[in-house]
Amino acid sequence: MSAITSNDEPLSHDQFMRYSRHLLMDDIGEEGQQKLSNSRVLIVGLGGLGCPVGLYLAAAGVGQLSLCDPDRVELSNLQRQVLYRDVDSEQYKVSCAERELSLVNPYISVISYPTEISAELIQDYDVVVDCTDNLNARQLINACCQKKKIPLVSASALGWEGQLVAFDFSQNRTLCLNCIVNKDSADPVLNCSNSGVIGPVLGAMGSLQATTVIRILLGFFEQHGEMQRYDGKIGRWMGLTTQADKNCEVCGAA
Amino acid sequence: MIKLLFFGRLGDVACDAPKLIEANTPAEIRDLLAADFPELGRQLREPQVLVSVNQMIVSWNQPLAAGSEVAFLPPVTGG
Repeated sequence: MSAITSNDEPLSHDQFMRYSRHLLMDDIGEEGQQKLSNSRVLIVGLGGLGCPVGLYLAAAGVGQLSLCDPDRVELSNLQRQVLYRDVDSEQYKVSCAERELSLVNPYISVISYPTEISAELIQDYDVVVDCTDNLNARQLINACCQKKKIPLVSASALGWEGQLVAFDFSQNRTLCLNCIVNKDSADPVLNCSNSGVIGPVLGAMGSLQATTVIRILLGFFEQHGEMQRYDGKIGRWMGLTTQADKNCEVCGAA
Repeated sequence: MIKLLFFGRLGDVACDAPKLIEANTPAEIRDLLAADFPELGRQLREPQVLVSVNQMIVSWNQPLAAGSEVAFLPPVTGG
């Protein structure tokens, strides 16, 4: 029998205990917990960012998590991708992640897509979390979320540095990822495969993504397009404002 | 004068670069730095390097006012 709670069912005793630290917070409470339980979130990319995002959203009780990643677990992933075990080598990441997240919280539903992201997969979600590692996927996700008015939380990391930017497209039609990055240029020369990355920097950025998702789901998010940068080597955060490009091919005509 | 900040790995190759400069746009700063610091200039011209003025992401041709703080941010696209 499924342990998943349907939309308006009151929380069970077990759920009251499980989510008690949310229920104690005046700005969450039972109503907020029900919002989380009734939410659907898509995590694209189950690497160094997607692992902590999945763990925290599963533990928080986000009712439905969909996971999309075509990759299989490799030995070199285990330094930072904290959902996977040594024995998971060669298995699909989404299958391993589904197993682990279901063990963390049996009250949620986890759906796996061991495929590349596509426009068809981005449907009817409350939030999409971009944890991918390449510009093409980021651009596709951004364009779909903007078109379908789905809030997007996008992050990335390299070396000691992390970057996060989120867009509430349900409230704002202009200013998107395409306004900020130069879509016409090639992918950056350096990536995690050839340049390396510190695992906890991914953890920090993934945790910030999960926090941002929860803020959006609870209605507390008001920083459309603001960029957060973290430099783990010197221990500094920086907030940066961004501007809509009126000629943007994704949102410029909105 | 314009105050310069270099983030992440750009900071590693900008150790000897000036932290104050006279220029009209971020692109002009990039060209001035490239003349004296070729490796820094090369990395500033890599795809997807962002530039901010007073903590706002802007285009490389943004006119600069005296006293502005210009930061160069290397791309971070891994996940």
